[in-house]
Amino acid sequence: MRSLLRRYREPIFVALLLALPFTVFAVKAKRNLALNAADRVVISVTAPVEKLIVAAVHVGQDAWYGYLALGMVREENLRLRKDLVRERAQFGAFAETKAENDRLRRLLEYTDKQGPLRSLVAPVIAVGASPHSHVLRIARGSEEGVHRGMPVVAPDGVVGTVALTTAHYADVQLIVSPTYAVPALNERTRARATVKGTGDQARCKLEYGQRTEEWHDGDLLRTAGTIGFFPQGLPIGRLVNVSKKPTGMFVSAEVLPAVDFARLDEVIVVLGPQDAPSSNAYVNASSVGTAQ
Amino acid sequence: MILRNVLVLGVCLGFAILESVFPFVLHLTAARADLLLVVVLYLALNDEVIPGASLSLAAGYLSDLTSATPSCLYALLAVLTFAVVRIGANAIKTDGGIQSMGVGFVASLVHSTLAACLFYFVAPGSEGLVLKFPPLLWSALATAVAAPFVFFVLRRLDKGFVPADAAIRVR
Repeated sequence: MRSLLRRYREPIFVALLLALPFTVFAVKAKRNLALNAADRVVISVTAPVEKLIVAAVHVGQDAWYGYLALGMVREENLRLRKDLVRERAQFGAFAETKAENDRLRRLLEYTDKQGPLRSLVAPVIAVGASPHSHVLRIARGSEEGVHRGMPVVAPDGVVGTVALTTAHYADVQLIVSPTYAVPALNERTRARATVKGTGDQARCKLEYGQRTEEWHDGDLLRTAGTIGFFPQGLPIGRLVNVSKKPTGMFVSAEVLPAVDFARLDEVIVVLGPQDAPSSNAYVNASSVGTAQ
Repeated sequence: MILRNVLVLGVCLGFAILESVFPFVLHLTAARADLLLVVVLYLALNDEVIPGASLSLAAGYLSDLTSATPSCLYALLAVLTFAVVRIGANAIKTDGGIQSMGVGFVASLVHSTLAACLFYFVAPGSEGLVLKFPPLLWSALATAVAAPFVFFVLRRLDKGFVPADAAIRVR
C-alpha cells in the first residue's frame, strides 16, 4: 500500500489539489462573496502598490499635460469656457424645472420617499486581475463607511454595487457581470423591465420587458428606484437590437451601458439616506437581490 | 528550492498587480493579458509536479481574489490547466518566443471557455452560457503577446537557481 502511494504520489497530490478548490467552489458558489483573513492580507499588500502605480502614472500624465502639452491648454481652456457657459444655462433651466417640480409636489402633498442621499467619492485604482472579471477596485473601504451591497454610480449612470470590502479598499461588481440584475424603467414609456449583465463589458440585456409595451432602439433606461436597489432615475443605458419574437411574453433587446467602465477614474458610493442614523439598515436592504 | 518557490510567488503577486493596473491605466476592456495563466503554463512545462501544482494553485488563488467570482473558480482552473499541460508537456517543448505565444493563445482560449462553462453551471443567477468569442480572442491574443515576456522573467529567475552540481558541470 505504501509503495503504491509512493509510486502514485504525484497524481494523488494533483488530484487532491483539484478536489480542494472544486469543493470550496461548489460549496461557496451559492453563497455571498466574503473575504477571509488571508484574502485581506493579500489585498492589503497588493492594493497600496496598485494605488502607487496608478498615482505615478497620473503624475506622469499631469506633467505631460501641464508642461509639454501647454500649447493645447489655451484651446482647451476656450472650449471649456464655452462648455461652462452652456452648462450654466442648462443648469439654470434645470434649477427652474426643479423648483417648479418641487412646487407641484408640495401642491400634491407628494412625499419624496427617497430623500437626499449621502455619498462618497472614491478613486478607482485597478480593475479585476482576471481578464474575465467585471470588477473595479476603489480606494475606500469599511473604515470610510463603505459596505457590501452599496450602490456605486458615476456622473454618466449606474456602475455596480460593492461586492467585497477591506478596511481601506473595496471591489465593485459591475452591472455587466452575468450575475447582476437591476430593475429598470423606460424613460419614454415608463415601462418596467430588468437589465441583466451578460459578461460582455460593452453590453447588457433586457429581461422581462412586456411585449405589450413599446420598446424602441435608442430608448433610455433609468433605474426604477425599487427599495434596496439604486436611487431612482439614474441612467443605465440605451436599448439596441430590440426584437419582438412571434411567441412569448417578453421582447428581446440589448442595452448599451451609459457608463464606459474602462474610463472611470472616480466613482460615487451611495452610502444611504441622509437622515439615516446608520447606513446598516440601508446596506442590509440593498444587499438583497442586486448582485445575485 | 524554497527560496525559488517564494520568489515565484512574489513574481505571481507582481503579475497580479500588473494585470489589475495596466488595463485600468491603458483603458483596456477586452485585450487583457492573463499573465498568471502564462505562469501556470511555464510551471507545467518546467517544474516538478508537486511544487508546480502547488504554485499553480497559488496563482489561481490570486486571480480569484480580484475577480468577485465564486471562490476558487480560477484556483481550480489553474490546477486543471497545470495537469492538462503537464500531461502533454512532452509534445509542447518550448523555451519561450513564438512557441510560448502559441501555447499561451490556445491555453487562454480553452481556459476562458472552461471558466464560462463552470460559471454557468455553478454560479447563482446565471441564465445563459456567456461565450462571446471576440472578447475571448482579444484576451487570448494579449496573453499570447505577453507570454514570451513572462517566460523570460521566470527563466531568468530559474537561471539564478541552477543546482550546484549542474553549475560545476557547466564550469
